[in-house]
Amino acid sequence: MLATQTAQSVIDHGLSLGADFAEIFVEKSQSSNVSTLRERVQSVESGIDFGIGLRLVYGTKVLYGYTNNTRADDMMRILSDLAARDLRDPRVNMTAFDYRDAPNRHPLKKMLSDDPAIESRVAYLLKADAAARAASNLISQTRGMCREVEQRIEIFNSEGLHTEDTRHYVRATMTSIASDGAEQATGMQSNGGMIGWEIVDNLDAEETGTEASRQAIVNLGAKPCPSGRMPVVIGNGFGGVIFHEACGHLLETTSVAKKASVFHDKLGEMIANPAVSASDDGTITNEWGSLNIDDEGMDTQRTQLIKDGKLVSFLVDRIGSEQTGYQRTGSGRRESYKFAPASRMRNTFIEPGNAEFDDMIGSIDQGIYAAQMGGGSVQPGTGEFNFAVREGYYVEDGKIQYPVKAATLISTGPAVLKEISMVGGDFSLECGMCGSISGTIPAAVGQATLKVDDILVGGNA
Amino acid sequence: MTVESHAEQVLSLVTKAGAKGDLIVDQGNAISLKARDGELEEHKVTSSRIFGLRVIKDDKVGTAYSEAADADSLSSLVEQALTNAGYAAPEVHEKILANDAQLSTDDSILCPEEPATTEDRIQMALALERELAGKERVKNVPYNGVQDGVGERHVFSTAGLHAATKSRSCSAFAYALIEEGEKNAMEGSGQVARLFSELDRSSLIEKVYQDAIDILDGEPVPSGHYDVIFDKEMQVSLFGVFNVMFSGKSAKDGINPMRDKVGETIADARLSIMDRPDNTNGFGYSLFDDEGTPAAATELVKEGKLTTLIHNSMTASHFDTQSTGHATRGPRSTLGVGLHQLEMAPGDADDTQLHQGKYLTLTELTGMHSGANAISGEFSFGASGFLCEDGQRIQPVRNITVAGNFYHMLKNIGLIGQTQHWNWQKSALMPAIRFSDIAISG
Repeated sequence: MLATQTAQSVIDHGLSLGADFAEIFVEKSQSSNVSTLRERVQSVESGIDFGIGLRLVYGTKVLYGYTNNTRADDMMRILSDLAARDLRDPRVNMTAFDYRDAPNRHPLKKMLSDDPAIESRVAYLLKADAAARAASNLISQTRGMCREVEQRIEIFNSEGLHTEDTRHYVRATMTSIASDGAEQATGMQSNGGMIGWEIVDNLDAEETGTEASRQAIVNLGAKPCPSGRMPVVIGNGFGGVIFHEACGHLLETTSVAKKASVFHDKLGEMIANPAVSASDDGTITNEWGSLNIDDEGMDTQRTQLIKDGKLVSFLVDRIGSEQTGYQRTGSGRRESYKFAPASRMRNTFIEPGNAEFDDMIGSIDQGIYAAQMGGGSVQPGTGEFNFAVREGYYVEDGKIQYPVKAATLISTGPAVLKEISMVGGDFSLECGMCGSISGTIPAAVGQATLKVDDILVGGNA
Repeated sequence: MTVESHAEQVLSLVTKAGAKGDLIVDQGNAISLKARDGELEEHKVTSSRIFGLRVIKDDKVGTAYSEAADADSLSSLVEQALTNAGYAAPEVHEKILANDAQLSTDDSILCPEEPATTEDRIQMALALERELAGKERVKNVPYNGVQDGVGERHVFSTAGLHAATKSRSCSAFAYALIEEGEKNAMEGSGQVARLFSELDRSSLIEKVYQDAIDILDGEPVPSGHYDVIFDKEMQVSLFGVFNVMFSGKSAKDGINPMRDKVGETIADARLSIMDRPDNTNGFGYSLFDDEGTPAAATELVKEGKLTTLIHNSMTASHFDTQSTGHATRGPRSTLGVGLHQLEMAPGDADDTQLHQGKYLTLTELTGMHSGANAISGEFSFGASGFLCEDGQRIQPVRNITVAGNFYHMLKNIGLIGQTQHWNWQKSALMPAIRFSDIAISG
């Protein structure tokens, strides 16, 4: 996308300003959004994002700028402006570019650039829509969305790296709203991957629509949730969002290097119940958070974070490595050329165990089964987090009793890791969007159903 | 090429294709600075421009955007929008307005000349981090920054409209992590102004530090039902989470729970809410919306009754009413509606009445989007703040949850204060509300 000669002159210029490291990140992304609302196409949107991110590093200090212009003189002007306070004699010499093919771990077939036909996306959404509406006469509204992004990136740096990669993301979502005249409730089902539109071959539109409506109906009949400290069984798949938010973010060098993580000095220590092992893995074929290379050009990898309760690794990008001394883990990620890369998660999960679901529920006198989790947030400095329960049930005397609404789980990362006592074997991953310092990126979360012995549940009963 | 000539090129292609359309061009420059351990950690300068086109042909709407501005890319932009329109279902209510006005904002209000230099901004960022980190018990200041930017929006249409807005925004923020033994706390805040010189570093540092110190010893309170006052930041955020209740677009789409309640009582009779785009003191000040329709003060809730929903030309046509000047559209988004800046009328409770007896002041809510369902009104958030009695803080409170139904809460207001306050982003002006009987879990 960018002429090698242009890249060479821009990086030469960056090094002439005294930088230790210079990098160019070129991005061209094509996107398509198809949305439906009750049996009809509501909108079709598309667009092209194009820009160039420029990074200079002086020690551990990052200077970053971006432009939509491919002219070398414009990029050099930005670098000169950025480096005005840091000018010094050149420290390193440019290494000649050595083009490297990125590994192709995630085959892509029907990408937007070669299969832009909207009809099949519309057909999928309308089929799911029909199934959602047919599920119950209490379904008052249905909404579908199919979003695809084909992201082409090219990276040059002063260490001679020149590489390219293409990522293609698909996410299809159906939302149902149920209403009984007085109250309304929602349900949502989503599928996606770092894959082409061939994903549709493995999707069941009717099942997607039916599941969205099933959740909405359950939530419509839900009672207020009891509150207080109690055991909670958290369902598989998106239940992993708790580990992602409460622990994963605290293991990124973005917060570790600043000592803004409660785990920054805990490497090698037991931070979780021995029942817990956890990893962050970019290698899972066509999974939502998978990559061939990270946004600094390093091959992706599987990184074991916690092994049998012991913290064994952080997630490390280039700057994080400079700041902490830990080896890079291929975790430098960014939303787009508008952001400098930072250490981020890919597909993050608690590894499966062998506990049985019935044993987990059966061990509870009074508690909650959080079958589906919603989103949440965490404060990295203290580890305090909160998560919404999207579909929950009250459990009493070892049996599921009735659905509950408006429940939130509150704890801290260190505390909840020690309270996970049972992990099942029904492991699965689900798509999420993760927002942090380098923007919003696709990241999958996952786990098997697991039991937390003691956590604060917020409800309004 | 100028913005005008790009627009002429794009819209002439739209007209040639037998369609109507409007083009949004957003462009801007910004600087962003972050400090760590007394040094500049990040220095970011940005320059951006994006074109967003909406076309309407045979009652079908299509949109497309491009960050590239060469002639081929802009031609492709038009083709793509027309192609997308071909797939859409007909929408007879969405039109390009017959509006050929030439509109622009006043730079002396929204974009005053800025004498500050890059070095001034860098010194501000460094001093903000250094002075806060130097305070007793502050372990570090992990998140901080100074930002300054100028943004422009141009809306052109095939009917001849050119509406131009140019605005400047300077901001500073900081979060302090405080530790004492095994306890820790992190609190943060920010400031926003039109001019860099209007930012007050000392007061920001003092506020962040004091907030963190005050909450450090926080403990949960027993579960139960409490009177609750959300502080000015949290109260604005809470109303923001549920502002779908005013949306004519959501009503048209069948997902606004208030869609059939215009003219009905939806809140306590002491509650009156307006949208006030005409208040120049706020950052939501606007002369016109994204369709070029004049923006004006709009009464939303009058003495507890919902008086109107907010509309663009499409939702207004659907409901056979007039646009209220609340159209929103971005280069990447379709036509919607949005509030400019809310203003809640003051109530009759003086400070003594408002703060009488025991109540909780909540200064932080977490999980505000994931923990809320704007359609049902149900919410459950993590919270922290202070247990108070007769206006005095008697205990810092952490690790609790607050839960309820927002739409039910509007009918269960205890008191409304006499004094209005801006939140720090200056997006809404509200008096404090004391809500009764709110579920707290500790």
